[in-house]
Amino acid sequence: MITKLKNLALSFWRVMSKPATKISLGVLAFGGFLTGIVFWGGFNTAMEMTNTEQFCIGCHEMRDNVYVELQDTIHYTNRTGVRATCPDCHVPHNWSHKVARKMQASKEVFGWVFGTINTKEKFEAKRLELAQHEWARFAANNSLECRSCHNYDSMDWEKMSPAAKFYMQPASERNVGCIECHKGIAHHLPINDSGVNPILAKVEQGATSQTLEEGKQYFVVKPIAIYEDEDLTKQAGTLSYAAPVKVIEKKDDKVKLQLKGWRKDKGFGRVYHSDFGKNIRVAVMEKDPAQNPDLISVGLSQNDPATGLDWSEVTVEFWAKEGAFIPDVATLWNAAGEIYSSNCSTCHAQPDPAHFDANSWPAQFNGMVGFTSMDPSTQALVLTYLQLHSSDYAEGTH
Amino acid sequence: MTTRRDLLKGAAAGVAAGLLGPSLLTKTALAQGTVEPAADGVWKITGSHWGAIRARVDRGKVAEVVPFEDDQNPTDMYKGIHGLIYNPSRIKYPMARVDWLKNRKNSDRTQRGDNRFVRITWDQALDLFYEELERVQTEYGPWALYAGHTGWRQTGQFHSCTNHMNRAVSMHGNYVKKVADYSTGAGQTMLPYTLGSTEVYSQGTSWPLILDNAKVIVFWANDPKKNLQVGWTCETHGSMKYLDELRDKVAAGEIRVISVDPVKTKTANHVGAEHLYLNPQTDVPFMLGIAHTLYNEGLYDKDFIGTYTLGFDDFIQYVQGKADDGIEKTPEWAANICGVDADTIRAFARLMAANRTQLVYGWALQRQQHGEQPYWMAAVLASMLGQIGLPGGGISYSHHYSGVGVPTSGAAMPGAFPLNLDLGMYPEHDSENFNGASRVIPVARWVDCLLNPGEQINHNGNKVTFPDIKMCVFTGCNPFHHHQDHNRMREAFRKLETVVTVDYSWNATCRHSDLVLPACTQFERNDIDGYGAYSNSGVLAMHQLVDPLFQSKTDFEIFTELTHRFGRNKEYTRDMDEGQWLRFLYGECKKANEGKFDMPEFDQFWEEGIVRFPEGKPWVRHADFRKDPELNALGTPSGFIEITSRRIEGYGYDDCGPYPKWFEKAERSHGGPGSDKHPLWLQSCHPDQRLHSQMCESDEYRETYAVQGREPIYMSPEDAAARGIADGDVVRVFNDRGQLLAGARVSDNYPQGVVRIHEGAWYGPVDASIGALDTYGDPNTLTMDVGTSQLAQATSANTCLVEMEKFEGPLPPVTSFGGPTEV
Repeated sequence: MITKLKNLALSFWRVMSKPATKISLGVLAFGGFLTGIVFWGGFNTAMEMTNTEQFCIGCHEMRDNVYVELQDTIHYTNRTGVRATCPDCHVPHNWSHKVARKMQASKEVFGWVFGTINTKEKFEAKRLELAQHEWARFAANNSLECRSCHNYDSMDWEKMSPAAKFYMQPASERNVGCIECHKGIAHHLPINDSGVNPILAKVEQGATSQTLEEGKQYFVVKPIAIYEDEDLTKQAGTLSYAAPVKVIEKKDDKVKLQLKGWRKDKGFGRVYHSDFGKNIRVAVMEKDPAQNPDLISVGLSQNDPATGLDWSEVTVEFWAKEGAFIPDVATLWNAAGEIYSSNCSTCHAQPDPAHFDANSWPAQFNGMVGFTSMDPSTQALVLTYLQLHSSDYAEGTH
Repeated sequence: MTTRRDLLKGAAAGVAAGLLGPSLLTKTALAQGTVEPAADGVWKITGSHWGAIRARVDRGKVAEVVPFEDDQNPTDMYKGIHGLIYNPSRIKYPMARVDWLKNRKNSDRTQRGDNRFVRITWDQALDLFYEELERVQTEYGPWALYAGHTGWRQTGQFHSCTNHMNRAVSMHGNYVKKVADYSTGAGQTMLPYTLGSTEVYSQGTSWPLILDNAKVIVFWANDPKKNLQVGWTCETHGSMKYLDELRDKVAAGEIRVISVDPVKTKTANHVGAEHLYLNPQTDVPFMLGIAHTLYNEGLYDKDFIGTYTLGFDDFIQYVQGKADDGIEKTPEWAANICGVDADTIRAFARLMAANRTQLVYGWALQRQQHGEQPYWMAAVLASMLGQIGLPGGGISYSHHYSGVGVPTSGAAMPGAFPLNLDLGMYPEHDSENFNGASRVIPVARWVDCLLNPGEQINHNGNKVTFPDIKMCVFTGCNPFHHHQDHNRMREAFRKLETVVTVDYSWNATCRHSDLVLPACTQFERNDIDGYGAYSNSGVLAMHQLVDPLFQSKTDFEIFTELTHRFGRNKEYTRDMDEGQWLRFLYGECKKANEGKFDMPEFDQFWEEGIVRFPEGKPWVRHADFRKDPELNALGTPSGFIEITSRRIEGYGYDDCGPYPKWFEKAERSHGGPGSDKHPLWLQSCHPDQRLHSQMCESDEYRETYAVQGREPIYMSPEDAAARGIADGDVVRVFNDRGQLLAGARVSDNYPQGVVRIHEGAWYGPVDASIGALDTYGDPNTLTMDVGTSQLAQATSANTCLVEMEKFEGPLPPVTSFGGPTEV
């Protein structure tokens, strides 16, 4: 196939590199003008041809993967019969951007020629990367293609469902790009085809494109492994949901982080908690690292009168990979709050998070959670949410 | 009989058409042929608290009910289902109390309970309901409305009436809610401090592991053979086969089962258990005597105590008589109170310590005054035995409930119609001003709340200030059965301006209401349910058997129409009808199980009636904690088992101290306080032939156990003979709180000084007066309405003494059944 392309290019170059000999300048210029019109039209026609759904799904990579997924969504069939086809979302509508995008598409031709995603497995392996390119493009133009149909100014809040309005109205005030919240609206999300709660998956997805800055505080969106070394070979422990960390240093996609917490002196000191005397988990250390003074600095011990146990403040520094941290923990709590209220109200009214204190929630939660369909990881998140929104932290409760 | 089609035609022509919009009228078609009015002689499948059934529907009526073939141990109660649908107590029309309809908030409330009602139209009824909500929110505020009192709704995840009522009323305004329940209030409040979980509703060690490993099983005030007949969702009765296996192992001498109970229970008789009698309400002294033996004979597990528990030393000072009351809790001391001789106490302690022993507690123990103590003390005993977290050892508080002990499949079960407002939805009246009162009250104290608004009580470390409630809304629950001391309740109900009740049968709560709306039964609507509340054995289709009887409607329709009155019906329903909701709930469940459990498309599921999931892996409760108490810490403040609780100590309550203690009861039989006047202990445990008060109205089935039309009272031959009572006599049972008629059943299973009337018997007073004779035999006519302690403030129903006599003279007719007197 490569030789074919090469020969074609060579013969074309030979013809084009010969100087003109017998044709007048006028003819050349006028002919050039006419040819220009023809080619211009042809170019545009050709380009428009590549701008149809038919063209896009001409390749089985698109037809068998993302196109199938699209067909289950509202952008494909809906009550008004307006359909968004592939180019409506994926090709800029403005001409010069369109040409620029088409030039970038040479990479896609390359991929097609070399079959980089020509099987289901290869496609799934590349899905995250492909999605991140599209998200970055949407982020850069603030979801311009979405906005050629959807416009904040034209939205009638009163006709929206209350839940939609709850999110949309504040987003409109900040002119948030559509894709920031609607990832996965037309195709499957890269992670989460099984296991992860879809509400959580969105938050995790958001974290994958978050760049971390030194000196700033972030919250982890899911339990992740942490390491003693920057090569990420010696696991030090696991961060728990929403653990607050400070970035000390950055190297490529790896970050050195600092975590402060409290541990009980009884036992091996493996579990770190968010505050003194509060059983709110922020990290679980491996056995040896938990006792390693090079890794962990331990403060003075204090006695908790509520249990009689001694607690010590600990500071630990470790390495982790980027891609699982967000600067604003509220998005995680919104997700957790929704999961809590829908899962815990199938049998009875769920108690207000501030009805119990942080150390009472584990018992209440553990006693009932078996009735829900939450997986263990989601359970851990919701419990942390309840503890951090318990009467110990909420204002004006008993 | 009107068919569904006729009803729809009528509705299309009438007001309802505009109201419901096209959705309910045109889009209801579920799978073809199942929703349509029943063709003659069609078999359908559905579920219930009593298990799954197949029903033959003939000419629009349920003709025959048989247990679902997957159910290997169906309860006898399936025979009551036909009568639950067809009986004279069904609520036929919307009804309003006579004087309330005339005078509303100024009505003569002493007439409440006289059962005189006027039939009104649905439109009138819903207008009145809405007007009253509106009036209470504007005239008073959210503190004046109590709508959070809910209970054992009929099964079915979409039609759950609890969810419908809460969502609809929440869309209108805020209201006072409850915490805890009548079954396990003390246990679920106490155990978090000790074992770090409510425990009472937790999955327990799988039966196969118990049967393989336990050498001794102690059923302590626990009767699983009776109570496992019913379940929170559709019951599979999957645990019953293990009781049969246990019976065989007992017969073969492989396992010893000891039933610690004043009464020889159904379970004890079934498995051939040894009966260890003790005096009612004296379990704590008995257990303290055991602890004394374990400690002083060095039989307790010191390693377990050291590694997994805190506060043992403080407690043992109390046992040894070196702290607190200064009394040494010797077996001799215990014997004096509990009626078990000291040697038996010692032998029992040694037996448990020498063998792998599984302790299995029932809930009756904590439904008594100071009910926190026996549950706490039981956890301490289990800690001393050191077998917590071992297969066939340790402690359970739940093996009699909803199939606990059958391994969980791990499959996700269907969700429900949302109880809450959707994100971003707000009530019409969004005031959060509760006028300085608490917006959540401990449920068993709500009659105190009615009687003493503004009063402040202690509850679980907090202060609760009673709001001044003016209006109540009830659905799918019957407080005039489950709350204690009906005469006190009657007094309290006179304080209420408006009581609205939605139900399918005219129970005593309807009798004491002002506005009653007829819901249909679960057999008159389509739904889906989880099969097995803990086993998650499958997803069950609940086919509508027949059209809603009389003028009854689904709760979904009732509350759609209520919310329509303030223009929020589309938000309420999310613009989906029954069929769409079922597809949605099923679809979400299918999605949650994707990759783990195969589920067919909805239509196929609906046609086949069930999706089955394979049984899960056997599992041991608390095993993870035993394996690593640091990583798998308990939910207690310390993460360890707290034999002494510093938190509770910090509350400073005089009726619940830092460790489990013996407190004398306000009333106790066998020589205890009050036994000279009323010598009989009345136990009001869960019924054998009902689910609480559900199915009592099933006439044909009730006749199988009633005595001269009255609820049975079970008694010993000695107590009967001493009073000249013969089996089958009607007796008057009484104390200073009330009086009732019941039918004598004399049985060797009962010791002297103990009588039993199952709770859930329908209250049937002769008139509206306070102190009126109850003609059928609801034990809560006699029980005491005090909190267990300042900790849980839960029900103390089992602290109750009575006397009885043979009833002479003309028998008053039973007034409980047959609906209201229409005026």
